[in-house]
Amino acid sequence: MIIGYIGAFGLIIIGLAILIYKKNMIKMILGLGVLDSGINLLIITIGYKVSGIAPIFTMDSKGVEVFVDPIPQALTLTSIVIGASVTALAAALVIKVKEHYGTIESDKVRRLNG
Amino acid sequence: MTNYYNIIPVITILTPIFVALVISIISNKMLKLKKALAVLATVISLIGLIILINPIFIQGQTISYWMGGWEFIKEVPIGIEIKVDALSLLIGFIISISSVLSSIYSLKYMSKDKGIDKYYSIFLLLVSSMLGFVLTGDLFNMYVMLEIMTFAAISLTAFRKDVYKSIEGAFKYLIIGSIGSSFILIGTALLYQQTASLNIDKISSILWQREFNGVTILSLAMLLVGYAVKSFMVPCHTWPPDAHMAAPSSISMILSGVMSKTGVYGLIRVLFLVFGLLGNSSVAYLILIWGTLTMVVGVVMALIQNDFKRLLAFHSVSQIGYIIVGVGLGLFINNPLSDLSLTGAFYHLINHAAFKCLLFLCAGAVLYRVRTTNLNKLSGLGKKMPFTMVMFFIGAFSISGLPPFNGFISKWLIYQGEMESPIPIVTVIALVVSTLTLASMIKVGHSVFFGPEMNEAKDIKEVPLSMKIPMVILSAICIILGVIPNFVVTKIIYPVIESIKHMHGVEIHFAGIYDPQIIVILVLIVAGLFAILLSVKNRHIGEVVSKEDNRLVEFEVYTDREVQKISEEREYAMRVEENYRNKFFIGGEDYDGEKLMADDLYWGIKKPLKKVFDFLHKSHSGVANDYVLWVVGTLAIILVYLSVTLLL
Repeated sequence: MIIGYIGAFGLIIIGLAILIYKKNMIKMILGLGVLDSGINLLIITIGYKVSGIAPIFTMDSKGVEVFVDPIPQALTLTSIVIGASVTALAAALVIKVKEHYGTIESDKVRRLNG
Repeated sequence: MTNYYNIIPVITILTPIFVALVISIISNKMLKLKKALAVLATVISLIGLIILINPIFIQGQTISYWMGGWEFIKEVPIGIEIKVDALSLLIGFIISISSVLSSIYSLKYMSKDKGIDKYYSIFLLLVSSMLGFVLTGDLFNMYVMLEIMTFAAISLTAFRKDVYKSIEGAFKYLIIGSIGSSFILIGTALLYQQTASLNIDKISSILWQREFNGVTILSLAMLLVGYAVKSFMVPCHTWPPDAHMAAPSSISMILSGVMSKTGVYGLIRVLFLVFGLLGNSSVAYLILIWGTLTMVVGVVMALIQNDFKRLLAFHSVSQIGYIIVGVGLGLFINNPLSDLSLTGAFYHLINHAAFKCLLFLCAGAVLYRVRTTNLNKLSGLGKKMPFTMVMFFIGAFSISGLPPFNGFISKWLIYQGEMESPIPIVTVIALVVSTLTLASMIKVGHSVFFGPEMNEAKDIKEVPLSMKIPMVILSAICIILGVIPNFVVTKIIYPVIESIKHMHGVEIHFAGIYDPQIIVILVLIVAGLFAILLSVKNRHIGEVVSKEDNRLVEFEVYTDREVQKISEEREYAMRVEENYRNKFFIGGEDYDGEKLMADDLYWGIKKPLKKVFDFLHKSHSGVANDYVLWVVGTLAIILVYLSVTLLL
């Protein structure tokens, strides 16, 4: 349990650090991806129970099994889909940035400032 | 009958999303059909919400519908709840009316763009997700709708992909917006960990019985910062100026006037309904100070802009500050103060949607005809576009809070609340901010509509009818909301406050003897007298005097020595090129009839406060990484503040 939380918040912090320190836009998108993975891990860890099994009732289940919480898994699925679309949209925008500016360094793409 | 009402919000949300899909599969040849369907879908949503007025505002009910019929099992909510209370319905109305007007406006406005068929699909997705966001009782559903909203908004910001600023604005919006959404998701997940529920009512009933612990405080901080990003609170306000400036104006109107309201809505939901922080004075002080900072920074940045739409976007930041101040004051335990400030906040929220949409549509009209929004290039459009000019000044007077327009009433209520608050100094700041708002609006009006006619404007016409109609409706709303404050306060805002505070008997009193009807009559009388005077007394006003006739100008006589000295000074000034404008005020008045540049208009204010303006200008560096740092820094500060005040 605890290692899951450590990993989740570690990934979230790494993702944010990439977004702050890396100027390359592709790397920034990867940073968003790491941030998303951290959040997914966090949600999965919240629903985890020690020695729990997949929450599926079968004909021979005795009603004594420990199920993991199914709702966080559904949430994670949604979150993964959203993360994928973030990445796709961002990558498309970076292609356009390269066309207009000739560079993908974020500190050179700053005509809108002040 | 009850079932019939329950299904209405679902129809309201699903109609635009369904029509969006239909539009995307219709052949591109039937463009008119697509446009008609898009307008129709927004109108159907609006009708749905109008039907809900009776049960919610008049009878005071709450309508809820469980998706798929999954209701309670052993008093634990299982499914996703679509829920409408008075607060949701108010914001829903703002969204729905604005989107109808925006879709009508874009019929002609977007007609010169490529890929117009996709525009309406994404636009309807945006409308549907905004409605879904406000008409729900489920925290995770709010997050999902927020993400759809963000994506649709980013796609529409980048819609004119051949313009560099659309792409740059959209990329920054994507990065900052995604971080905001991620924070909201983390906050939601942590709340689920604490309460094992995603239903807002259930969560709040569980949290109500508990003290704060570390996890709930982290979750509160995450949600606050996440919604602060969505509602442009300083220092998370860096993406809206870029995005609103770059988006097509019919979308800027939605982004700035309406989407900011969804952020404020989320904030109010989290503060009042999820965490039940009413009466928690440490959070109240935090929100109050945050709002004050927002309104000051927004207006100071607006004063130094020289792009029409960017300036309006910074004004949005500033006006959201007023609303946040009202919400912050509403968190104090003192009931008359709380009611008064919340009334002001909600009134200003409605008003801001009206006048900011109107102003962006005026900017769109200028852009549509002249193809630029640079204030230093625009000049003298008043003669060619008198209609747009009148509309702009109605919007400008409303945003600056001049009676009898709507901004006056809401700002008055907020001032009144601030005067009674523990830190009345905020009133002074709010008044100064209001003055600066008027100043920068005068700057825009002066640059765009007055002055000598620009060369490009020789053969332009007024905008077409389908662009005029939304502007007329919005300006009518601006005036009507200013003239009937008692009706708005008692019939619209009291139910909203009752719904978020779960209590009855809200009552506020206006201070002073302001009566809008008398002011309107006075204004009309003065305007009439002025018109009579103009027509009778002096028929020469407005006549163009040619430069040759202007013989009465007195020339100052310089000796050769003085002329040489002056020219030497000029040369020196040219040498320090970067500070040239700040050292010598030439004001564009080198010769008679030249346009006074927008940058030079408030030179007198800018010179002594140069350091402040320069600092703010340099801080908004335009680098996405810096802006991420600001958001994360805000999270750290909020987290420390909340832990210190709520835990210790």
